[in-house]
Amino acid sequence: MNQTLDRRRLLATAALGGVVGATGLGSLAPEAAFAAEPATIDSGAPDPNFAEGRISKISGSMLLVTGSDTVLHSIRITDGTSIWKLHPTTFDKVAIGDGLYARGVRLPDGTLAADSVWLNIVNLHGHIAAVGRNVLHLDHQGRRIVAHVVPDRSAAVYNGTPAVSDLSLLRVGRHVQVLGAWHPDTNEVDIATVYAAA
Amino acid sequence: MIDLIATLQPLVVGAVLIWSARVKLVSTHAAAAANRSALARLVGQDRALPAYRLLGGMEVTLGGLLLLPPVLRAEALAATVLAVAFLGYLAYARRAAPTSSCGCLSARPTPVSGRSLARAGLLAVAGGLALLATEGWSTALAGRPPAGVGVLLVELAAVVALSPELDHVWLLPLRRLRARLTHPLRGGSGVPLLATVQQLQLSDAYRRVAPLLRSDVREHWDDGDWRFVGHAARYQGRLVTAVFAVPLTDREPDAVRVAVVDNATGHTLLSLAGTPPAAGPRLSVVPA
Repeated sequence: MNQTLDRRRLLATAALGGVVGATGLGSLAPEAAFAAEPATIDSGAPDPNFAEGRISKISGSMLLVTGSDTVLHSIRITDGTSIWKLHPTTFDKVAIGDGLYARGVRLPDGTLAADSVWLNIVNLHGHIAAVGRNVLHLDHQGRRIVAHVVPDRSAAVYNGTPAVSDLSLLRVGRHVQVLGAWHPDTNEVDIATVYAAA
Repeated sequence: MIDLIATLQPLVVGAVLIWSARVKLVSTHAAAAANRSALARLVGQDRALPAYRLLGGMEVTLGGLLLLPPVLRAEALAATVLAVAFLGYLAYARRAAPTSSCGCLSARPTPVSGRSLARAGLLAVAGGLALLATEGWSTALAGRPPAGVGVLLVELAAVVALSPELDHVWLLPLRRLRARLTHPLRGGSGVPLLATVQQLQLSDAYRRVAPLLRSDVREHWDDGDWRFVGHAARYQGRLVTAVFAVPLTDREPDAVRVAVVDNATGHTLLSLAGTPPAAGPRLSVVPA
């Protein structure tokens, strides 16, 4: 805990401190950064640096993932991997059965060293059929989806304006887009962001 | 009582059939409704609209015959057969083409649900009851107006309640009213992380550092007027952390600052302050 606090203090001081390394700016030009990474993906071929599926086993920092096309992926979580599960979280929140999208670098042995992992992330459109206590019932292509509002996590974007935490402008019968975290093997999701007209 | 109910059934079935035929015959969206229905799968895309219109023609003919005297048992039998056939069609549609629309009472895309099946079942039962009718519905209604109107209202309510096509007329307004009275969506307070990330992505600091970033947001914390957002990054071959300081409440992307810190040594390799507003002559616009 103290380690985290010390680290955060160090990072905060660095961010708010004076300007350092003006000479380094030359290498920050986008051309220089992209020149080092030639595009190696053939059109039509699957992106080798991406994987999706459900976690079937966790051993150490390695996730064994069964893709929706039944391809098996080994995904290594590193110290630098970002893990999203409704919000940025830590490795101990990863569970067997979670769905995931992972992006990273494919190593020569076939494992994917993940830069970013999004667990159970869903993106769906629907109509609000009913509203309950911090619950939206969505009509999604004729099926019912229960979307839970998670206080202090869920955000709303109305008409493309900056996100706010007030969801009270959502109306029954209106169309919404929901980004959220699925509860595996149910028709329920937790809302990360709901996009709506107001 | 059962006599009265049976006598009124031709009116109910006839009215529902004519209502149902309306969308198939005169609606401008009939072609779209036909293509969305399971008919397209059953008889082919080209023949879906003619089949849909033919069904509408049958419905309006039978509905008219049921409504008009004389009372014939054959009419009730035909209506029952039609309702049972429709029940079978809906069951088929639900199995074979679950994404298709019912196309029953309105051109609105409405998936075949348990309610549609229940409504078709209700019509089949009503048609069966109509077989027992011995006199015309108008004479029965004139004989016992209060009971007759009561029976009709109950059946109408049942048909409306079992029609997903009509939810927007009564069910959604009721739910809207309840939401307005009870305010069930509390949500939370404070600035959501997304608002910070949106502001961050509009900033000059982010644009300049973005090619170095490897990960999505790894951690974030608030301190005073700032929210700090950390990404994993790679800079000159070293694993680093790019930490952004974003104003928590004010929306000023120009004030976003960033530092790139070496994970191994903790040294700040790079830091950018927000760019101050462009200096120099400015065009000042004064409202008239």
